[in-house]
Amino acid sequence: MSTKKTNWIPIMILAISPFFILLAIVISVLYGTKDISALTAWQAITEFDSNNVDHNIIVGSRIPRVVAALLVGAFLAVAGAIMQGITRNYLASPSIMGVNDGSAFVITLAIVFFPGLSNYQMIILSMIGSALGAGLVFGFGSVIRNGLSPVRLAIIGTVIGTFLSSIASAIALFNQVSQTVSIWYNAKIHAVDVDMLRIAIPFGIIGLLLALFTSKSVTVASLGEDIAVGLGQRTKWVKALSMLAVVFLTGTSVALVGKIAFVGLVIPHIVRFIVGVDYRYVIPCSAVVGSIFLAFCDIISRFINYPFETPIGIVTAVIGVPFFLYLIRTKGGEKSA
Amino acid sequence: MLRTNRFLLTLFVIFLLTFGAFYLHITNGSFDMSIWDVIKTLLRIDPNPKHDLVIFEFRLPRIVIAMLVGIGLGIAGTVMQGVTRNGLADPGILGINAGAGASIVLFLLLFQMKAKHITDGSWTSTMMMPLFGFVGGALAAALILIFSRKNGRMDMQRLILTGISINSGFGALSMYISLKMNPQDFEMAAVWMVGSIYNANWIFVLSMLPWIVILSVIIYRKSHLLDYFQLEEGTVTSLGISVEKEKIILILCSVGLISACVSVSGSIGFIGLMAPHIARSLVGLRHRLIMPVSAGVGMFLLIISDYISKTVFEPSELPVGIVVSIIGIPYFLYLLVKSKA
Repeated sequence: MSTKKTNWIPIMILAISPFFILLAIVISVLYGTKDISALTAWQAITEFDSNNVDHNIIVGSRIPRVVAALLVGAFLAVAGAIMQGITRNYLASPSIMGVNDGSAFVITLAIVFFPGLSNYQMIILSMIGSALGAGLVFGFGSVIRNGLSPVRLAIIGTVIGTFLSSIASAIALFNQVSQTVSIWYNAKIHAVDVDMLRIAIPFGIIGLLLALFTSKSVTVASLGEDIAVGLGQRTKWVKALSMLAVVFLTGTSVALVGKIAFVGLVIPHIVRFIVGVDYRYVIPCSAVVGSIFLAFCDIISRFINYPFETPIGIVTAVIGVPFFLYLIRTKGGEKSA
Repeated sequence: MLRTNRFLLTLFVIFLLTFGAFYLHITNGSFDMSIWDVIKTLLRIDPNPKHDLVIFEFRLPRIVIAMLVGIGLGIAGTVMQGVTRNGLADPGILGINAGAGASIVLFLLLFQMKAKHITDGSWTSTMMMPLFGFVGGALAAALILIFSRKNGRMDMQRLILTGISINSGFGALSMYISLKMNPQDFEMAAVWMVGSIYNANWIFVLSMLPWIVILSVIIYRKSHLLDYFQLEEGTVTSLGISVEKEKIILILCSVGLISACVSVSGSIGFIGLMAPHIARSLVGLRHRLIMPVSAGVGMFLLIISDYISKTVFEPSELPVGIVVSIIGIPYFLYLLVKSKA
């Protein structure tokens, strides 16, 4: 029965998703603080006039913005899916496990101590930061008794995240760059750097490909260490490769738009609920659902305080927090604690 | 008898340490003063208007607020840890700070009060702030207790995690509300939310003093109940104590304390976590002894943190909340490592 379920539902999701992605792009390009007609928007793409302000808004701001939202949504959701599968931890996700914070922390240090880094270097540093954050949290998790259990690891992750961001803001305040730094910490999807976007795409694609490549092994790993070893899986390699994918995906996301919470937590759960536990389907479906989700969150963020923008993190938190509470309530019993 | 001696000795040492911190705080700063200047100013011996200004308008209110907030958070943390029987409970981690903070931000928005320049006109609204905070804090506490309860008992880990998520929820809410303010107020609110007491003045002291005094006394008088709560629930009921009612009273009292603190200093976490632990390791397990020691330790920690926050990056100031988390988080992790799974 379950095999039938996992066959057609994911294909249907992947088949109808282009429609929603297109819808998100259209809404995102057409609506915003400034009213721009559909015709002007079309002209901006077909016959771009660099003197026309509206054209510049469309090409320089709205299109990069929706592209960034779609990409980051996909990256974070896939990163969350892999983390949840590999660690068998229903609370794992880039924001809860300190991976996002690690990135933002290293970026802060870079801004303060080596100003004027190129975008390439920024992305690389951001990935190093992801690895650092994940390393710290999992390191502490393995030192502490029972520390790798979902709830404990989530507590450790949050606390280490707070610690890193406290130090970062102290350093930033001292060097009087706190405004620049707070931009990295609070998602800046409304001001995506087009150059950065161009550079980020290949890095993200590498991450996504790695994720797809390991997806089958993630399914096996999600059955548990013993079973995975029994089935002849080289668990060390799978873990290393999939963590590399997470580092690529999260590092790129943070370098591109800053920290966005809850996407990586919520989306994989919803997707698993719909398509089952086969990660060959979960990962691609998470990617499309995540990108659609974040693109629509971005659209919402323009309108809840119109004509002012609201940080997208507020929108994802409003959706994510109740979901998080629900997860703790239904799954967080003594057994998994 | 021995225990009482130890208790008195501990209190005395804390008093000395606090006095030391007080000395550091009042003599150092962007304007250094000798202790003689301070004493002369305080005793009104040939007063110097410059010294008067620095001491009475800037440093003294700031230290007094740090003391009151430290006492409040120390006591509130002890109550939270006692009632939930969870050594990792802390008003900041549990999101009660954030709840109180969100409703105070809402209050600031609704009444368009310039928190920076308290004039006589807004005197009443300053006094109202803790009351508003209480509503939000109580809401957060209720949510936490509802969500972390399963099959009639509270799960330790889940309590913390629920707190963390409620924290980020209310944090997002405060952020959203504060974005609707005008830019100056927003800046103010942003600094205040991280936890800072650098814009202290006497009206703030007055607005929180009654809360701290009255609620501390009530909690102290009930502190022996916290000893019973460490036993099995059935045993406590058989002693003729209406457990639920007393727990709710204690929690509401500590929410009141927290709201008063948050309304003045913003959200300062981890004091409520550290102080009770340190107190327990000093004077043992009886809450009647822990309570005053925890208040004293909280007071000392906050004065010294505030001193660090104002001097370490001189002339720029660090919000004290950041200093406290940088000190507090390693301690939290240490407790996690030490605690039995």
